[in-house]
Amino acid sequence: MKSFEYTITDPVGIHARPAGVLVKEIKKFVSTVTVNKGEKSVNALKLMALMGMGIKQGDTIRIDVEGADEDNAAAEIEAFFKANL
Amino acid sequence: MALDYRKCAEEIAKLIGGGSNVISAAHCATRLRLVIADNSKIDKKALEEVEGVKGMFESNGQLQLIIGTGTVNKVYDEFLAVTGVSAASKADVKAAAASKMPWWKKILKTPGDIFVPILPAIVASGLMMGIVEAIPKFWPAFGETDWFSFLDLVANTAFALLPVLVAISAARVFGGNVFLGAVIGLMMVHPSLLNAWGVGTAETIPTWNIFFYPIQQVGYQGHVIPVILAVLLMSYLEKLLHKIVPEMIDLFVTPLVTVLVTAFATFTIIGPVFSILENYVLKGAEWLAGTPWGATIMGAIYPWTVFLGLHHMYNVIEAGMIAQTGLNTWMPIASAANFAQFGACLAVAIKVKNKKTKSVALPASLSASLGITEPAIFGVNYRFMKPFLCGMAGGAVGALFGALFKLGAPVYGVTGIPAIPAVNNIPLYLVELLISAGVAFALTLIIWKEEKPKEEAAPVPAVEQELPTVSVIRCASGSIMQPVKGNVIAREAIPDDTFASGVLGDGIGVEPEDELVVAPFDGKISSVAESKHAIGIEGNGMELLIHVGVDTVNMQGDGFECLVQEGDEVKLGQPLIRFSREKIKAAGYSDTVAVMLTNSDDLEGVECGVK
Repeated sequence: MKSFEYTITDPVGIHARPAGVLVKEIKKFVSTVTVNKGEKSVNALKLMALMGMGIKQGDTIRIDVEGADEDNAAAEIEAFFKANL
Repeated sequence: MALDYRKCAEEIAKLIGGGSNVISAAHCATRLRLVIADNSKIDKKALEEVEGVKGMFESNGQLQLIIGTGTVNKVYDEFLAVTGVSAASKADVKAAAASKMPWWKKILKTPGDIFVPILPAIVASGLMMGIVEAIPKFWPAFGETDWFSFLDLVANTAFALLPVLVAISAARVFGGNVFLGAVIGLMMVHPSLLNAWGVGTAETIPTWNIFFYPIQQVGYQGHVIPVILAVLLMSYLEKLLHKIVPEMIDLFVTPLVTVLVTAFATFTIIGPVFSILENYVLKGAEWLAGTPWGATIMGAIYPWTVFLGLHHMYNVIEAGMIAQTGLNTWMPIASAANFAQFGACLAVAIKVKNKKTKSVALPASLSASLGITEPAIFGVNYRFMKPFLCGMAGGAVGALFGALFKLGAPVYGVTGIPAIPAVNNIPLYLVELLISAGVAFALTLIIWKEEKPKEEAAPVPAVEQELPTVSVIRCASGSIMQPVKGNVIAREAIPDDTFASGVLGDGIGVEPEDELVVAPFDGKISSVAESKHAIGIEGNGMELLIHVGVDTVNMQGDGFECLVQEGDEVKLGQPLIRFSREKIKAAGYSDTVAVMLTNSDDLEGVECGVK
């Protein structure tokens, strides 16, 4: 499993549109991606659950990537976060 | 592909740390809802991989596993069988989740949890018993009739066999099998045992010689604590055995061993030990009743003995008094204490706003005025505690009065109003009742304040709302109605790439003519945006996002009013969000409402458009 932490810089946090785009990005990979914030964790493909976490600007989240393409996926997803969130 | 329910349940049980880590389990239409003792034992990652589990999340202290309609109940049944956890309703799960309270509070709460569910039986019997037993005081001949005999039997059934009701209720509270609990309760009042109320007059008490000391063959009529303790032990044993006994023989070994061991423990240790404790209580009571100050104290603590189920044994003291002097001077103490509980309960009935409490408190106080205080004590006063304490104060003052004026009666077992014809000085007895109830009533009115239930959700606005009738999205799981009035447009026509592209699922847009978003189906609010412009609602496996306007997140909630909270259950047509089209226009954004079925990929037969 690959993990990385990221602090949200987007002023609106992970809301509908960013979440949707994130889900679309993650769907490219076969790995399972989990977003963790504090005690809570959700499968990043579950849009509603992801939005329900209420991730805001300044929140630090941990992303776990696990699966056959985890090396590649983790790198690309991290790059995606930096570029969009 | 059919899911292997057993396998699914077993895997879930394993990954949450076994049955012993489950406080309670329930399910709704789609989810398995568990309250877990130690969250660190959960392997969340692996849980989500279990075949049959479509998702998991934690909310309100519950671990919720999404399994699906029609499947979840089967997995749930297997889960109960696998873990030995007993069935709980959704309300129970909520209660367990809320019970992160200190241990002593939980212990004090337990008797209430056990007695409140059996209140209907107690209220019916209590009222009937009070009336039936009062009539012969005015009309002695009635006591000889078959009518009296029959009515008395009907009235005292619940009390004579109270341990059975207590055992069943306790089994539910402690998570044991209710039928095994019933067996324990029945055993304790078995007709072959000498009736506990008959012990005082029996010449010889039969015994069993099966261990090192003789065990008295006496029933536990009118007792509460030994029954509760016996069932507590039984429930613990049963759960332990379910865990350690191999599954193949669990079905017959566990119940057999549970009942047998509990029976031995009940008749050898729990029952006798409690009897000894009880004797000490009685000896102390006899001594205390002898002096005015003793009577004052007894008047105060009498309700506690009712609470502990010991008060039936006072009959022994009272019968002794009548036999020796012809006057039962204990009765005024009991009357004062009981009538004070009536006063306190009546004050609650008058002051309380909560309809359910009122409907319990009113008949309970009536029953207490007739001398049957269990409904008032267990159902009302003790639950709120302060009325109970006020009742103790009223009882103390009344009992002191009774002792000073040497009130008494040649009867026992009746108190309050039904005892009036029997007392040695009716006017003074009435004064005693008035003092007792008056003090308790006044104190309760002043001191007790109704606590607002914290869990209660905001009341659903009672605004008459015409139900939406236009279906905009349909799939195998159900139909989604148009949540806001206006012109329906295709998803691709929504002026926002994210929605138009279908990244957020399939759906439609609405160019609103109104400013109110209502629930498009019966469901639960799964998320509410901080900026109040978007809301998630799920029901029947459908997850829907309603997003008001484009880029309106930037308005930071200005112009939006959200009428529900995350976790609320909502009905079709219930108002969710009120928004100002003017403010959206003024901020320079489109007010198109996007209605997105975010999990449309997982659903079958999704079809969008007006129908």
